[in-house]
Amino acid sequence: MFSSTHMTFIDGHAASVIVPRKSTVTSQPKVPITPPEKWVELYSDYLYGFAMSRLRDPEASADCVQDTFLAGIKALNRFDGSRDIKFWLRGIMRNKIVDQIRKTVKENKVDIDSEDETLLESFWFRFSGIATTNPEPWQFNPRKQYDNTEFWVVFRECIDSVKNPARQAFVLRVLEDMTTEEVCKIMDITPNYLWVLLHRARQQLKELLEEKWTGPDVM
Amino acid sequence: MLTCKQVSKVLQNEDYENLSPLRRFLLMFHIKLCAVCGKFNRQVIDSQDMCCNFKRQEESLLEKEPPMDADRKDALKKLLSEQSGDSTLHRS
Repeated sequence: MFSSTHMTFIDGHAASVIVPRKSTVTSQPKVPITPPEKWVELYSDYLYGFAMSRLRDPEASADCVQDTFLAGIKALNRFDGSRDIKFWLRGIMRNKIVDQIRKTVKENKVDIDSEDETLLESFWFRFSGIATTNPEPWQFNPRKQYDNTEFWVVFRECIDSVKNPARQAFVLRVLEDMTTEEVCKIMDITPNYLWVLLHRARQQLKELLEEKWTGPDVM
Repeated sequence: MLTCKQVSKVLQNEDYENLSPLRRFLLMFHIKLCAVCGKFNRQVIDSQDMCCNFKRQEESLLEKEPPMDADRKDALKKLLSEQSGDSTLHRS
């Protein structure tokens, strides 16, 4: 596409040349809109599975699917067809999941237990923000399992077994890629306490994986 | 050279994988040498790496999730046909 004219100098004389400019607007194929009557048939299992992976609660997950579909119908006018409607609905569902977690956190206020208090109040952590604990090394090398689908199935199960509120913090910060500030606002906790929760989630995940994973390379 | 505090702060707020190559190098340099926070933060990086890889696999794992309850689906179908009918009327 030739869209801009630039002045340039050739042997000291000004000359007009047409410079091809990269198109900034890429034409995207429009995806047809699936009528809402077919959404349950086509997308409910997928969205339900996604909600279950985040909330671990069948009733709350089904509610999330329903809220997502209803919000989808209302916002259908704004669907631009640039991506599959399944992923568009999943985008809506992310907000519903955050709302659901916010609701659960409000009902069961996150309390700092004595173990966390010890860590938060420890001299080093309080004054330097440095964790000095020496964790035990892994009993197997997790990097060597990345190509094994079974490992990720077990990993999923282990995430499900991490206890709340560490799991909620892990889901929001790690799986949903939210910033520290956003997660702290949703869970009404301080950044230091979020750090403790994530540390606890990682520890539990490691212990659970070492307990459940029996694949190759286990010592 | 980064300090232990800076390393902890960076890993608290960002994934190791998302850092610039220079920052990644400086961070790993510190972690490899540091007797204070090295062991701990190496496991933080391992965990972040594992979670990044998990997210890439997640889409295929969703297929293994149990399906939604059939009764709930029927109720939802009914509700959606009502709602979509309403919104069609509203739009026209």
